[in-house]
Amino acid sequence: MITFEAVTKRYPDGTVAVDGLDLEVPAGQTMVLVGPSGCGKTTSLRMINRLVEPTEGTILLDGTDIRTRNPAQLRRGIGYVIQQTGLFPHRTVEDNIATVPVLTGWPRKKARDRARELLTLVGLDQDLARRYPHQLSGGQQQRVGVARALAADPPVLLMDEPFSAVDPIVRASLQDELISLQAELRKTIVLVTHDIEEAIKVGDLVALFRPHGTLAQLAPPEELLAAPADDYVAGFVGFDRGIRRLSFVRTTGLALGTGPVLPADATVAKALAAGEPWILVTDPQSGTPRGWADAARLAALPADTPLGQAAAEPLGHTFTVGTDSLRAALDAAVLSPAGLAAGVDDGGRVIGVATFDQLRAAIQAADAADGADGAHGRNGPRQ
Amino acid sequence: MWSWIPSNTSLIWQLTWENLKLGVLPALYGLVISLPLGIIAARWRWFYPPVLTAVNIIYAVPSLALFIALIPTFGLTDTTVIIALTVFSLCVILPNVVEGLRGVPPAVTQAATAMGYGPLRRLALVELPLAIPVIIAGLRVGVVSSISLASVGQLIGVSSLGYLFIDGLQRSFPTEIYVGIVMVIVLALVCDLILVAVRRALTPWLARA
Repeated sequence: MITFEAVTKRYPDGTVAVDGLDLEVPAGQTMVLVGPSGCGKTTSLRMINRLVEPTEGTILLDGTDIRTRNPAQLRRGIGYVIQQTGLFPHRTVEDNIATVPVLTGWPRKKARDRARELLTLVGLDQDLARRYPHQLSGGQQQRVGVARALAADPPVLLMDEPFSAVDPIVRASLQDELISLQAELRKTIVLVTHDIEEAIKVGDLVALFRPHGTLAQLAPPEELLAAPADDYVAGFVGFDRGIRRLSFVRTTGLALGTGPVLPADATVAKALAAGEPWILVTDPQSGTPRGWADAARLAALPADTPLGQAAAEPLGHTFTVGTDSLRAALDAAVLSPAGLAAGVDDGGRVIGVATFDQLRAAIQAADAADGADGAHGRNGPRQ
Repeated sequence: MWSWIPSNTSLIWQLTWENLKLGVLPALYGLVISLPLGIIAARWRWFYPPVLTAVNIIYAVPSLALFIALIPTFGLTDTTVIIALTVFSLCVILPNVVEGLRGVPPAVTQAATAMGYGPLRRLALVELPLAIPVIIAGLRVGVVSSISLASVGQLIGVSSLGYLFIDGLQRSFPTEIYVGIVMVIVLALVCDLILVAVRRALTPWLARA
């Protein structure tokens, strides 16, 4: 656990970077510090491993004032990942990863074996062990940076804009991997970002900073979206927070109808008899969705035509009932030509479809429950 | 007239060897002095501008004048030439030590500190290795210019390939002068190539670009 007690950082020129910060990072959780540039988030992070010393106040690591610790010793127990990776250009990937174990006196062989284990852990090929950092892509370098930070198995991990320098697709996969790594390792992580989406995605707790180093709100991500403390927070989390908040609501309780769902070997007559404007045509064997058929156009066909021979509109996308969030279901409805969200099971078999009315009912039910089911963060639905 | 060469090979080799010593030793001494000065200058920024100014002023002094200034203390000896050339080498190597150390990316030094390196270990294991290419670039200039300037030492009687220039001039015998020039160039080139090889061996991470 990391505790900030009334921590202030004032520079000699009078600039106040952090102003009386009180903050508690619970052990085993991911705390994201987010805010505009100049809000003191990075300064706060660097005070934890004493790269920056506070002007006033105290920082405790598991109850011990970090000023009583030798800085080099303290830092060897705190992993550190930065945006520019800071990998040592003159060392191979494995020796980069082995840095802290070697510093703490492990034999080189053991440290290199550990480095190879970590390569696998962060999803990199063992063949990269003997390469130099400049021979890797940006995403690979960032993974090596994470592996290096984890090498000595420190209980605390500090990450300063770790994914900001890679392209959006790589960034999303690195974020996903951080989430699954953290589910396994349960480190105390403090991550700094200016990207509120990233904060909401990876954080158990989000500390939103105002300019000049004060806290605007400290809350779990879904609470930040559902109940912003003030206009500053609401503005920072963005105008579509209402929709993004649905990322945290499961589709388990969503009512689904099966009226408009028919297999491809059913006839046009049967489809028209259903009285639905759009029919979701499924594969007769696997039950997977094929596409949407427009009832108005089916009416022009002979009554005994199988639905599989009728022209079908593309599916858009489906959502997996129970696994995906209401946000995914809503998105599926918006993108479907029928205005209906097609829900499938884990095997891709259609369970039923949800209308906008049914989606709205599910959203209102979730609001009434007020997040009481505790579905949040990495334990919540897939976003 | 080219027959002068085979009949004087032992003289030529001896002068080449002496010229080599007068070129390489000052560059090495210059490096040894530049390293601590450069490390201090890279760490404490106020230290560097006055040192750099002093070094540049010394560099502007003609080599012969510096030899003469040292004669009262050290006499007409190798030591006089070596001290003077060490000072000149220092002038070209020191800025490269400072630039090499300052050129280490801040993210790398910051990461090293955050990994738990103390200042000395960080210097020895991270900063100096990364500064090697720039430091050796300075050393190359230092060695080549010392080899070239060593021949001026002949004017105060310190033996080097410069002997061939002076003797050839006095005897109006150009072959001797040509041989002197070629040997100085060959010597400089060989030393330079050796330093390039040393740099390659010390910086394997730069091998494949």
